[in-house]
Amino acid sequence: MKQRALWSAVLVAALALAGCGSAADSGSSSGGSAGKLVVWDWKSGDASAASYIEKAKADFAKRHPGVTVEFVAQPFEQYYTLLGAAIQSGKGPDVMLFNGGGQIRDRVDALLPLDQYVDEDKQRLAGWDAFTKDGKVYAAPVTLQGHPIYYNKALYQRAGLNPDRPATSWSEFVANCAAITKATGAKCFAQGNKEGIGIQFFMSGLGSGILSPREYDDWVAGKRDWNSPGVKRIFALWKEVNDKGLNNDGANSTAMFNDAFAVFQSSKAAHVIGLMSDIGHWKDFAEFLEAGNVGVMTSPVVNAGTTPSLPYDGGIGYAVAKWTKDPKVAAELVRSLTSAEALKAFHADAGAIASDTTIDVSSAGPAVATIVSEIKDGKPALHVALSSKTVDLMGRLSQQLLSGSITVDKAVEQLAATDQAG
Amino acid sequence: MRPGTGRRAERLAPYVLVAPAVLIIVVLRLWPLLLGVNFSFTGDGALNGTAVGLDNYRDLLDDPLFRTALRNVGLLVLLLPVAVAIPGLLATFIYLRVPGHRLFRSVYFFPAVLSPVIVGAIFNLLLAYDGPLNAVLGGAGIGPVDWLGNPNVAIFAVVGVHVWATFGMALVVFLAGFATLDAALVDAARVDGASLRQTIWHVIVPGLSRTIQFVFVTTMIGLLTSMFGLLYIMTSGGPEGSTYLPEYYIWIQQGQMNRPALASAASTALFVIMLVVGLLQIGLLRRAGRED
Repeated sequence: MKQRALWSAVLVAALALAGCGSAADSGSSSGGSAGKLVVWDWKSGDASAASYIEKAKADFAKRHPGVTVEFVAQPFEQYYTLLGAAIQSGKGPDVMLFNGGGQIRDRVDALLPLDQYVDEDKQRLAGWDAFTKDGKVYAAPVTLQGHPIYYNKALYQRAGLNPDRPATSWSEFVANCAAITKATGAKCFAQGNKEGIGIQFFMSGLGSGILSPREYDDWVAGKRDWNSPGVKRIFALWKEVNDKGLNNDGANSTAMFNDAFAVFQSSKAAHVIGLMSDIGHWKDFAEFLEAGNVGVMTSPVVNAGTTPSLPYDGGIGYAVAKWTKDPKVAAELVRSLTSAEALKAFHADAGAIASDTTIDVSSAGPAVATIVSEIKDGKPALHVALSSKTVDLMGRLSQQLLSGSITVDKAVEQLAATDQAG
Repeated sequence: MRPGTGRRAERLAPYVLVAPAVLIIVVLRLWPLLLGVNFSFTGDGALNGTAVGLDNYRDLLDDPLFRTALRNVGLLVLLLPVAVAIPGLLATFIYLRVPGHRLFRSVYFFPAVLSPVIVGAIFNLLLAYDGPLNAVLGGAGIGPVDWLGNPNVAIFAVVGVHVWATFGMALVVFLAGFATLDAALVDAARVDGASLRQTIWHVIVPGLSRTIQFVFVTTMIGLLTSMFGLLYIMTSGGPEGSTYLPEYYIWIQQGQMNRPALASAASTALFVIMLVVGLLQIGLLRRAGRED
């Protein structure tokens, strides 16, 4: 009797555990054979990416008519979970889409270095750094992702400010915000830190106005001094902005995607540090505020001796798995996916800043023109250089900073420890 | 056909009939479980595939997030009586035919048919800092509460929503239990002049002891295994990591941090917890069974 109870307990628990722990089966769509390439991404299912995929496929078919390409669109929320399972089993897609930065750098063990295949594209495309680890390129950039500071020109006008001359220094910026709040009731920043993403955007959006160019470059190169006055200033400013009421209320319970953007779109805040591609960007904002009212500015100078620049990186890019049968053909597919024709279609339909900077963007409005003009002098974003573990911790610490349950010194101490360990 | 063959076939028949079920459980449940436990003793990243002993478990215990997740499991267990009392009380009122009890019966059950994603999205709007609930509180002169942004409040908000979304099922079970309750006892209590509290405490609760135990067990399982959807939508484990539960931790480590072996270790730990809880519950049910 006791025995039976024990066994049934084991079974009950096993069933419960297996139910919540198991990953979805990905067997049917993985593992390309010779003559077939399987691509995983989270884009190809979108209607807005249809023409992009079509153009890339056509380009590839011209060069390799005998090879069929199968695109498998995975849900983005599950993407890295599914990919992790595929990598673990050593079987999976031949070509796969990655976000730049930590997501791809943590997984380069499973990827093929592409340097010898993509050499010709290096000049034409921007954003390679986000897909590079230890000097080797692992994916070719499709879009650029970055963090321009968007502002609402209509609110500037209502406050009697010149909408074409945004502030260049922090004190001027805060004064402008005060004027806007007084005249219109709108807050200075639309801020959403529920997911811990607000701090990433803040750090990268304002970082070039806080860190000296030298410290900035060192940070990106991996030489990070978390205890420097500049780095502490980033976190102190993060707290100060919130404490002084420049953010919308309840930043810790406002989701960046998309509640914070909604605050900006509904003119309840004058500025938002947004994105360049896909979402939370010029195209979304223009739908609500009209393209002419969406301004883009670089960071105001917070610390003297800094030269603000646009923070951007390769956004998404296609990589080749180590286990693919014919690496050369797979790399060719990656090249087709980043061909000028395909990227032009992606820019036009999906509202992304494509990695190919030679594409004509003049029809997309003034904000895009400003962004593209700043790409030349832009630098990689600060948070993209961090490992996903550090970014995750930073998200939680940033919430603690806003709620006042940790000091800046203690926060950077923890971040330094994690950054060095990782 | 010789008589021997028939007897043997008869002897083997039960095994053959049970085999599919056993095979499914062994091949698709127990075997992967063992693989998972085995996997939890290997490393991640550069150490992929090499044995690292108990390192992952040490990492787990060192990780304040995992400790928070375990603490939250403890909190759920403590909140269990509340989660059972709410449907119990409401079912009692319906049984005692408060005005409009028919309407309440269907209204109470309604949330149980909604998916956690929809429930989460609804409450994200309701509980937003500038949302309707805070507007109502503000109207009553009570300062706004950051329901999902305050680490001391958020877990209670999520559990509260979970209870709201799932108590309909328990309510139905309670109502079924009431159907077996001897109405003469309640009438007798009324005739004797018992107050509502006395009726509930001395007549209804003892009469429903088996139902209450059953609801305890199912609510417990629900709390421990099906909060993921709500957590994912409502707080993503935040703020400050205060609403982590083991399931969510496992998902983050596997999917976002690319540490599948550590996730396996966390899964094994969750398995052990579920095993203990499962054994306790089976003991409880058996004892309840003997009482009859």
